[in-house]
Amino acid sequence: MLLLTVLLTLALAACGGGGGNDGGSGGNGGNAQSSEGGSSGNAPGNSAGKSDSGAKDPEPVTLRMAWWGSQPRHDYTLQVIEMYQQKYPHVKIEPEYANFDDYWKKLAPQAAANDLPDIIQMDISYLSQYGGKGQLEDLTPYLGTIINTDHISENAISGGKLGDQLYGFNIGVNTIQFQYDPELLKKLGIEKPDENWTWDDYYALAGKAKEAGLYFDSGFRPEVFFGYYLRTKGQHLYSPDGTSLGYDDDQLFIDFFAPLAKLVADGDTPTPDVKAQIKGLEDDLLVKGQQVGVWQWTNQFVGLQQVANRPLEMAHMPGPNREQGLYLKPSMYFSISKNSKHKEEAAKFIDFWVNDIEANKLIKGDRGVPVNSQVIEAVKPTLDPALIKVFDYVAWAQENSSPMDPPDPNGAAEIIALFKEITEAMDFGKLSPEDAAKRFREEANAILARNK
Amino acid sequence: MPMRFAAWKNQLTGYAFISPFLLGFLIFTAFPIAASLYLSFTDYDLFTAPSWVGFEQYERMFAGDPKFWRSLRVTFLYVFVGVPLRLTFALLIALLLNRASRAVGLYRTVYYLPSIIGGSVAVSIMWRNLYGDEGIINLALNLIGLESVRWFADPAAALWMLITLSVWQFGSSMLIFLAGLKNIPPSLYEAASVDGANPLQRFFRITMPLLTPVILFNTIMQTIAAFMTFIPAYIISKGEGGPLDGTLLYSLYLFRQAFVFYDMGYASAMAWILLLIVALLTALVFATSKYWVFYETKED
Repeated sequence: MLLLTVLLTLALAACGGGGGNDGGSGGNGGNAQSSEGGSSGNAPGNSAGKSDSGAKDPEPVTLRMAWWGSQPRHDYTLQVIEMYQQKYPHVKIEPEYANFDDYWKKLAPQAAANDLPDIIQMDISYLSQYGGKGQLEDLTPYLGTIINTDHISENAISGGKLGDQLYGFNIGVNTIQFQYDPELLKKLGIEKPDENWTWDDYYALAGKAKEAGLYFDSGFRPEVFFGYYLRTKGQHLYSPDGTSLGYDDDQLFIDFFAPLAKLVADGDTPTPDVKAQIKGLEDDLLVKGQQVGVWQWTNQFVGLQQVANRPLEMAHMPGPNREQGLYLKPSMYFSISKNSKHKEEAAKFIDFWVNDIEANKLIKGDRGVPVNSQVIEAVKPTLDPALIKVFDYVAWAQENSSPMDPPDPNGAAEIIALFKEITEAMDFGKLSPEDAAKRFREEANAILARNK
Repeated sequence: MPMRFAAWKNQLTGYAFISPFLLGFLIFTAFPIAASLYLSFTDYDLFTAPSWVGFEQYERMFAGDPKFWRSLRVTFLYVFVGVPLRLTFALLIALLLNRASRAVGLYRTVYYLPSIIGGSVAVSIMWRNLYGDEGIINLALNLIGLESVRWFADPAAALWMLITLSVWQFGSSMLIFLAGLKNIPPSLYEAASVDGANPLQRFFRITMPLLTPVILFNTIMQTIAAFMTFIPAYIISKGEGGPLDGTLLYSLYLFRQAFVFYDMGYASAMAWILLLIVALLTALVFATSKYWVFYETKED
């Protein structure tokens, strides 16, 4: 009966054992394939499938493709896959999708077993982990040959680079902003935030929310917005080599988080337990008309507006030094796994995804604004007004932002969890911003020091 | 001495018959246990091969990880408050159901139901809603004139969500108690009644002593199960163990280390420490049992 107590151990070890044993064989398969990939131009990668009757027909290929998202994304992605399969009947794509949290729990054991899907939707906070540890294929050789980059800017592509290696292909551009309900904002006495509003303007405005019987926003995801704040001060969240935090002065931490904790304490923004009870977007405080706005990525604007079902507006990030702080970021990438046996076919799919106009009429801006300028031009007239706003905003940001930081270092997932824990304690009033700054520095540096 | 072929064959047949279990045990139990012991001495992130680090993971656990201690504290609270409550509750219901009644079969089924579904995801989600700010628990509290409790804001309150859920799943221990009660000869009660013992005396002088072996069994089984509780904590806290680590049960923290932070070495080390803790506690309960467990067959 005691054996039961190690049930969890079993699960762990099962993964471990599999990884160790399969490592060799999987690696060999990969090598064999890549040498073949180099020699053949158009021929699809080798496949174990039985040879077809028609000699010129490409051999059938099955690709596995994984992504995270919510139901609307699953729906149109499956449609795009369907479209691709009709165009290339020899390709069959097996989808594997989940929500963001579960996605990464599933992907890691697959990586350990050398069984990653061929096409993997990748996030910036995991790019170093998967790319840096040899799980992903360098896409540089496919650029211009299989993946057409004629209408994609160098800047958009380089966002997937780790050093010289391109481990993810940017499939959409994102930036941060404030999205709000103009009718609710009027209750606080203004039409819209000033074009050049500052953090102080924000605190003053948000401070009126409780009186109006509202929440102002749902807080800031610290790893994103504290990162922005640091950039406006000429600092960065992570050091360039990713082995420590990038800023030295804890006062910056205090300056950013103390006013936010005060807004929570005053009831102008919701406490963590209120947020913890939100079950989904339908249940969101903004959707229910109890919250003025939300700080988030541009690609989330349309989904929010759809569920809220009333017009929403967008406003800039507060300054000063907004242009220095603001950046464009690949909202997500498509990567090709090192263990894929059909890397060229996978690259062809990525090419289709970023360059095909009909496909992008389905994709719209859900994964960020398309990287292909021609696609943008062709797709834009077919879009809803809300999406056009997003496209225009990103176009504006293109001219009014600075280059992004390098992809997050290893351990970013732990840093994000640590941030969440510490800001929660501050928002509950259990931890002073001064102590929080110190604790964050100590624990974050301990996590990052493992990258040395 | 060489064994005769017939004897060999005989033994082989035996092994063949138990091979489904044997193979399953070796592949899915013995090997993973051994592997996890090995992994606990390594640094393993799933991506690169495990590298040997000796006792580093264990050192980090005891000396460098305050969260480990917090999760241990939460787990001990959960076990030492939850298990006695659950057993008491199970015994009370068993006593009620031990009476002869026409609908007793129905009641037994009904009371056992939560144990069948209790560990499931759906029930945990329901539990979240029951304890929500506008959930039925707060509604009930308001109805009797009490203030609402913000169950998701206070670590101590949040743990009570888990404890009540575990108490509610009393069915399996109840069934075992019920079987134990049925085994107590009615003649003892009759004799006691004749001697003028009241119901309370009969319970403490007859029922409890004769039930101690069953209590011992239930205590051990439920303690082990409680230490391994995972699903309710995972669902109720959305996988994070909040608020402020209030529901960060040991298994949940272990899971987070393994599958959120990809730190398999550390998670394996944690699993072994959990095994040690549970083994020690079980040994302790056994050691004390000779002072309080009464076996009818043993005469002294």
